Order: sequence, then structure tokens, then C-alpha cells
Amino acid sequence: MLLPAAAAILLVAWPAPSAAAGETLTQIKSRGTLRCGVSEGIAGFSEKDASGRWSGLDVDFCRAVAAAALGDAGKVTFVPLRASARFPALQSRTIDLLARDTTWTLAREAGLDVQFAGILFYDGQAFMVPTASRVKAVAQLNGAVVCVEKGTTHERNLAEYFAGRGMSIKPLVVDSAIEVADAFLAGRCAAYTSDASQLAAVRLRASGGRTFRILPDRISKEPLAPVVRSSDTAWLTLVRWVLFALIAAEENGITRDNVRETARAAGVRRALGADAELGKALGTDPDWSLRAVQSVGNYGEMFERNLGSQSWLKLERGLNRLWTQGGLMYAPPMR
Amino acid sequence: MSDLQIYLSIGVFAAVILAIAFDVIDMAVATLLGVSVLIGFDVLGEEDIIAAMKTAGGPLSLLFGGMVVARTLASTGVFDRVGTAYLRATRGSGRRFLLLLITLVAPMCAFLPNATTVILLAPVIVRVALALEVDFVGPLVITAIVSNSAGLLTLVGDPATFLVGSSIGMSFGQYLRKVSLGGLLAVLVVVPLLPLLMPELWRMRRTLPPEEPAKPIQRPWFAALALAVLGIMVVLFLFGEDLPTRIVPPAVAIIAASLALLVIYGAKVEPVDNVFRDIDWKTLLFLGCIFCLVQAVTKTGLLQRLSIRLYEWFGTELTLVALGLIAAIGLLSSLLANIPVVAASIMMVKGYLVAAAVVPEAAMSAHFTDWPAATIPVFVAMMFGATLGGNATLIGASANVVTVGICARHGKRVTFAGWLRYGLPFTACQLAVSALYVLALFHFMR
Repeated sequence: MLLPAAAAILLVAWPAPSAAAGETLTQIKSRGTLRCGVSEGIAGFSEKDASGRWSGLDVDFCRAVAAAALGDAGKVTFVPLRASARFPALQSRTIDLLARDTTWTLAREAGLDVQFAGILFYDGQAFMVPTASRVKAVAQLNGAVVCVEKGTTHERNLAEYFAGRGMSIKPLVVDSAIEVADAFLAGRCAAYTSDASQLAAVRLRASGGRTFRILPDRISKEPLAPVVRSSDTAWLTLVRWVLFALIAAEENGITRDNVRETARAAGVRRALGADAELGKALGTDPDWSLRAVQSVGNYGEMFERNLGSQSWLKLERGLNRLWTQGGLMYAPPMR
Repeated sequence: MSDLQIYLSIGVFAAVILAIAFDVIDMAVATLLGVSVLIGFDVLGEEDIIAAMKTAGGPLSLLFGGMVVARTLASTGVFDRVGTAYLRATRGSGRRFLLLLITLVAPMCAFLPNATTVILLAPVIVRVALALEVDFVGPLVITAIVSNSAGLLTLVGDPATFLVGSSIGMSFGQYLRKVSLGGLLAVLVVVPLLPLLMPELWRMRRTLPPEEPAKPIQRPWFAALALAVLGIMVVLFLFGEDLPTRIVPPAVAIIAASLALLVIYGAKVEPVDNVFRDIDWKTLLFLGCIFCLVQAVTKTGLLQRLSIRLYEWFGTELTLVALGLIAAIGLLSSLLANIPVVAASIMMVKGYLVAAAVVPEAAMSAHFTDWPAATIPVFVAMMFGATLGGNATLIGASANVVTVGICARHGKRVTFAGWLRYGLPFTACQLAVSALYVLALFHFMR
């Protein structure tokens, strides 16, 4: 008698498929906060100051996503992660979004069941040496001790680059980004290898009048990108298009300061995909992209504030310029 | 899933377990109500129920197939023959009865699905117990416990073991070298506990009546065909996955059930409806609902989130992690179906090993097989915890649920506490022995 009863309950009570966006967005809305995985402290990307406030390019991107998804850029919980813990944290649903200067690679996307939303920063692996060092090029590091962070693509790139050129290297593999910088600044290595942007950030920490030089060679392409779980394509779509909205805003001269006043113009709304139907399709509302830009500015503003001329790092935009200015930053049509 | 839904999932699951444990309500009704509540509150959606049925499909098919084949064989008189031979082999001794039972069950369960084996052997064991004038509940519980434990003897002996082994690319031979001895110890540890937990049966002596000439089989052709179906099922269980068209054990069970029903229909011994009427639908329904409840608990992600916590608690102390896993997964598997527990735990353990930088991040990929030797005992610990933990309670393994159903059909009700009386001591001792084995494995694989 139980079987018919069970069948009846399942048939009558079988929930209709939800029309809402992905599971992640539903959870975030229910929780009221976006859990964003960031680094334990890399200047320019994700760093917490003495007052406990986070800043950086990755941090701003998390805030933009929170503004689009939840309507409030402040509704983000930043989860600092060492490199080796980032993918377990994403897969275990400890975080909803990983924005931790993570390189987009085939092995990661194909093997780890994750999706990269788009390139937030074009970087490359470089080497930093003391200014006083006689090393002027990577080729002169043959036989030297080089500091590198454990569990990163840098570790493998380093080994492959030197092995491929018949040179030897003595890698000093250290657990976390902070510890590897400490090891280098303490003089335990002749050189420190990481993304050029990360090296620039570490350079700022040098004390006692010591100066360091980043060698001009780049031994890898390191396109840094936010990451989500591949099981939720609706969430991937929203995160990806928040990034494109930030780039599109710069393309169209829409800034943090003028977005509110220009938002009434149909052209601006169209340029940023601020549309009732599109908002619904993304699981948000029509103003999702306007809020993202209002909270952190357009891509150019984010870059300058965290990495460029307005930051301590003073990095050139290089490949991170808009496509119209000789860079690679390009947003597909937001219609 | 919102925090409220997480609390609801855990709360409903706990309520169902407590209701069963304290015998408040019939266990099938309890689980059905639990599932209904979770559907009502949108914790379980369409995809969840499909996912649960996908997981439950294998075990339920194995049980259904076993039940149909066993029911068909029951009509042939074969069980009477085997039962008589078994009874003679006991020579009226309770001790021999139990030891023969272990000797019979363990090798079969090393290769055949546990619950199916229990279904096939139960009619024989009940007959022998009745002939010896002893309560058959204890021997049937031992049958289930030994069948679960013997699943550790080979890589294919238990779905949970297979799941863990295949997730790290462990071959049949590697399993035999690294894990089977531990499985054997887990089975053997049952023997010294028998005189303590079943002292009356262990000491029991009966004078058997003089052997009578065996009754002739009424319908030899029918019996031969039914036995042929059993033979096909066993052969396909053993070699089906090596055929050009891979036939997995649940499919084998369904094929065997179809053939058995065809034999019944063709022989016109009785209507096919009689066989369907005798299937233990309540057990199948109960297990289906349990899988839905476990799906809701798994969906909370609480288990998976432990990967980062494990690293914070234990660092790179793999020995501590392995011992913790034996206890924790053992406990969870005693309350939840072990397959979903293991599936979630594999992700958790791989995540922990990556977070601890013991293995590269590529280890989270399903195709990674280059596991360092030092990590193997951690996975072995999971196998022991998942397989042996299920012995503790009547809902811990499908073989247990089937056993309870068989007892009920023979007029004996087994309560949660009644099972715990045997299950808990056996499980505690088996997990303790497993922990020692895993420690030894760490030592020798260093």
C-alpha cells in the first residue's frame, strides 16, 4: 500500500523546475552575501588594511558582482585563501566566486570542473632581483636559487623554462605568497619569480632603502581570471557579463561619477545591457550593470586605482588597455 | 540552498532517524513523511530526486533482482535441499552453524552484491535455524554484517569500496595487495565476538533427527531452469563488466529477474502476479526514500566544506586525518547510505590533500592517478569507515534493511535498538582493527 502512496506524493508534490537563475545566485540571495575567495594579501589585487577594509582589483570585481547580484557592493564576505586552497574552497562551496589572481589554463578548466569567466588582467611570469645584482636577464640566473610559491603555475613554468634551455635552477618552494615574499626579502634567494604584477606589489614592501628590479623577460602568459564552478552556467553568465559591463562602460566613457546621470539615456542603458528582459534572463533586475559601474567604476578606473597611476604599484596598462587603444580588453555586444 | 534549508534538511533527517530509533512510527512511513516535508519546503527539487534515484537505482535494482530470483528458487524446493545439507553440516552445534555461516557468506560477498547474497541465502539460514529450534534473527543479522564486511575483500565487493578505489585509479591487484588483508581481519574479528554476543546460540547443542532420504524435486525442469538463471546471474556478476557490451551488476540483476519471471511464466507453476505480490516493496520504498533524504543532507555541502577545515585542524598529519576519517565516515555511514557519503567524502579528502599541498591541484581532476604512496592509507581509511560503519544500525546498509524485511516477513520484528545490540559492538571492534591496519599501512608505505 505504501508504493501507491509514495507515487502519489511524488507526482502531486513534485516541484516544478525553478524558473529562477542558477543555484549559486539563489543561495547568495538567500544568504544575503557573496562569498568571494581572494588572496591572503597581494597589493593591487586583494589586500586588507589595518582597519580591516579590503582593496584591490580582485576585491573590486567581487564588489561589482555583489552590486549586480544583490544590489549592494558591500554585501561581500572576503575569504582569504592560500593558492593551494583556492580550488578546494570553490569546489566545496566554501566560496561562490574565486577572484584570486588565478591563471586561466586548459588543465584547470578541463580537469577541475571550473569555468573561467573572462580575463580580468593580462599578466606574465617575470623575475625580480635586487637592483644591485649583476643579473640583467633571466639567462643569467643559471644555477641560482629562485623563490617560488608552492601550488602555483609559476612553479611548473620555472622548471620547464630552465629545463627546456638546458639550464639548471635551484627553486626554493615556499608555502604561501606572503612567506615566499618574506623569504626573498630576507635574502634567501637570488631572484623571486611570480606574475609581474605580484612582483611589483612585493617590491613595495622592501624596507631599509633596498631596491629591486623586475627583469624585462616574461616566461609565460598569465591571463588572470575570476573562476566559478562549471555546474552553474547561469552564475557563470552573470559573473562573465559583469566583467564585460565594466569593460563596456570604459569603452563608452561611462564612469563611476557619471553613470547615474547618464543612466536615463537609452544609448547608455543599451551599451551596458541595462534592460528588463536581460536583467530577468540573468536572474537580477534591469539596473544590474549600472550598479556594478556605480560601485567600483569602469574597468579603466578599477585598474588605475588599484594597479596604475593612482596606486603605489604604478603599473603600465600594457595589454590591459582597451582594444581601441592597442590592448586586449574587449567586451562583446551587450544586447 | 539557504541556511534555513540546510537546518531543515539536517532537522528532518535527524527527526526521521530518531523516530525510527525510538520506534515512534513505522520506518517506511517515517522516511516517506521526511521526503514529503523536504519536497514541500523546496529543499528537494526535481533534479535532486532524479539524482537520488540515479544513486538509488543500482542498489534497488540489485535488491529487486535478488528478490525475484530468490522467490523463483523458493518454488523449486532447492532451498530445502541446500538447507538440509547445511543442517547436517552443523551436526546440531550452534557454533558450527555460525562458523559455517561466515564461511559460506564471506567468499560469496567478496564477489557478489551483499544485499543480493543475503536475499539468496536467507531462506536457507531461516530453515536451518528453525530446524535447530533457535531464533533466526541473530544469524540473519550476522549474515548481513559478514556480507557487508566481506565486501572489503575485493575491489568489486562493495560499491562504496569500488567508488573510492576507482576514484584514485586503484586496480584489482593493487587492492588485493594493499586492502584485502584488512578486509579479512574485519571479517575474522566477528568470530571471537560471537561467543560474547550470542552465548546461548554459540553453546547450543541439538540432536539432529536421523537423516531421511531427500524428497525428490517436484518439477526438475523448472528447478533446472531456475538454477540456470541463478548461474547466469552469478557468471554475469563476475564477468559481465568484461564483456564487449559492459553489463554492470544492477543490469545483471534486472536481466536475471526478467529470466526468472519468464521461467515462472513458461513453466506455469504459478501466476507471475504471485511473485510480484511477494516482493518486499516496503523495503525498496524505504531505501528509495532514504536515498532522497541523504541527497538533501549531501546537498547542504557540509561534508564537502570540511576539506578546508581538515587542513586547518590537522595540517599535513595524514595519519590523524585517516584515523579521523575511519571514525567520522564510520559514524556517518551508520546513519546514511554509504554510497552518497563516500561520494561526498572523496571530494572532501581530495580537496584536503590539495589544500594541504600534499598533491598538486590536478589531483582534483577525475583522471588523476599519480597519488603518492603516503596518501593511499587515507583512502583506505575511507573504505573501511564507509563499509564497516554500515554494520552498526539497521539503516546503515541495504543488506541490513533487507534482513529486517526478511525477519518481518517471517513474523519477527527487528527494532533499531535490537539491531544496535549486535551491530554496535561488532562495528566498534571492526573499526578499531581497521584503524590498526591503516596505521600499519602508513608504516609500510612510508
